[in-house]
Amino acid sequence: MSLTETAQQIRRRDLRIPLGAILLVIALTAPFIGSRYVTHSLIIALIFMLPAHGLNLLVGYTGLLSLAQAAFFGIGAYTAGLLAVTYGTPFYVNVVAAGLAAGAIALPLGIPALRLRSTSFVMCTLGFVIIGQAIAKNWISVTRGDMGLSSIPKPHFALGPLSFTVSGTMGFYYLALAIGALATLAVWAIVRSPAGRNMIAIRENETLAESVGIPTWRYKLIVFMISAVFAGVGGSIYAHYLTVVSPLTFQMYYSTTMLIIVLGGGAGTISGVVFGSLLFVGLTEALRITPELRMIAYGLCLLALVFWFRQGFAPLINRFWNAIGGAK
Amino acid sequence: MTGLPILEIKNLRKSYGAVKAVNDVSIHINRGEIAGMIGPNGSGKSTFFDCSTGLAKPDTGTVKLDGQDITGWSLNRIAREGRMLRSFQKTVVFKSLDVEENLIIAGQMFTFPSLWSTFGLGRMSRQRVSGLRERARELIKMAGLWDVRHQPAGNLSGGQQKLIQFASMLMPDPKLILLDEPMAGINPKIIERVVETILYANKSLGVSFLVIEHNIDVVTSICQRVIVLDQGQKLVEGLPQDIIQDQRVREAYLGG
Repeated sequence: MSLTETAQQIRRRDLRIPLGAILLVIALTAPFIGSRYVTHSLIIALIFMLPAHGLNLLVGYTGLLSLAQAAFFGIGAYTAGLLAVTYGTPFYVNVVAAGLAAGAIALPLGIPALRLRSTSFVMCTLGFVIIGQAIAKNWISVTRGDMGLSSIPKPHFALGPLSFTVSGTMGFYYLALAIGALATLAVWAIVRSPAGRNMIAIRENETLAESVGIPTWRYKLIVFMISAVFAGVGGSIYAHYLTVVSPLTFQMYYSTTMLIIVLGGGAGTISGVVFGSLLFVGLTEALRITPELRMIAYGLCLLALVFWFRQGFAPLINRFWNAIGGAK
Repeated sequence: MTGLPILEIKNLRKSYGAVKAVNDVSIHINRGEIAGMIGPNGSGKSTFFDCSTGLAKPDTGTVKLDGQDITGWSLNRIAREGRMLRSFQKTVVFKSLDVEENLIIAGQMFTFPSLWSTFGLGRMSRQRVSGLRERARELIKMAGLWDVRHQPAGNLSGGQQKLIQFASMLMPDPKLILLDEPMAGINPKIIERVVETILYANKSLGVSFLVIEHNIDVVTSICQRVIVLDQGQKLVEGLPQDIIQDQRVREAYLGG
């Protein structure tokens, strides 16, 4: 009797801590394990995780489908690029300014857009991306049009006598990892707060949420702005990583990629977005090696997703996580 | 302290195109009263409710809650600042959330001083939420939902969802509750339970009620006064026993 009990106890031991530790070690040593190209793919994945986190707050938690993320991503990228090239401001100033600029622009855009009903709202957010690209292309005196902004400096930090530049792929990986971790933590805090509960209430039933005193419209506007801040910060890091920004930063393809990350990973879950950005962006970047098969493989992934994982991968991850935790 | 009515609605009108859904209705609800509202289908009861609670905007007329003019306020503001809550004819709950979370949500905006404070995760915020959880558990016990408190509300029966909705409305210490057909489509056992909770809320918590209800037995047993609407207008009001004897009311229901 006692023997079987022990056996069960051993089998049921919580494996989450060791697995978590392994994942952490992998995350911290990834640039040493993989090739430079893998590291590059991971950096892109970490950068796209930011707008995807923001979009998840909007789509997954508040129930508002938006295609505007690429517009705010582009606004962030151009803000950082213009500041760096024109005024030579340091990296961290550009990141903060890009987030604030995207959030501030989301206010006048959100006020009329959020008055629209579901499908009209989606169309309206689509318009923002197109307008953004048109401005980037045609306001040549500021954005230099199709030439874009180039030679944006690599992130440079100066703390008193200490100063260093994040130039290599490896260095940038750790920077992106740190910012990605911070963003994930920020989303976690928002979702865990009472406001996060109100957001879910709005997603579940807006009229009922109103009837228990929740000012739904104001919440939606605030979440729209927060999601734009995440996208703006992501865009600024993108600009500093690639060192160039062009009107192509405002492209629908980016909005759909962010949406696929959220829906494919699992809308309304944080782990889903983290997993989703690694899978979808990492996969597309990694598949660039075989350009002929790249989009086909990507398409097959999407089909598999639609047919077998309608809730995204998050339920699968959660089940696995609970299973190794010894839960029934 | 019976002087001022808790709710006073004057000359309310609302038209949808050529249809005068509510045509010049004036009513009042006394403090501590359970008032009933009956009338045949299409007599304007639900429109009247919607216009009183901010879900729809009345064309003309004034709504005064506790002496304050709240005409034109939004649904969420009337709930939050006026503590006048309403239920819906078609029962609604936050389906994917469990019973306890449903009730906590119903109390949050009344416990947090501002929208910004709801984004907090600090000690103050945690204390407020645990206070809400305690109150939610009390009400869950009272509503007889203790055993299912961790189940998603959407998985429960229609009657249980009604009880969730009802318990949710008691979360913020309301002044006045407007119920839109609380007994529709639920079994007699739950009807008894809902009646009990209405009477408990009225006697022990001092909540006033306006109840739209077709079940005439329930109306006569809990309401002190009944208002009858017909074709968008107030037909008559009075004691329940007088109302059911009233010839005009019978004619309205029979379409005579």
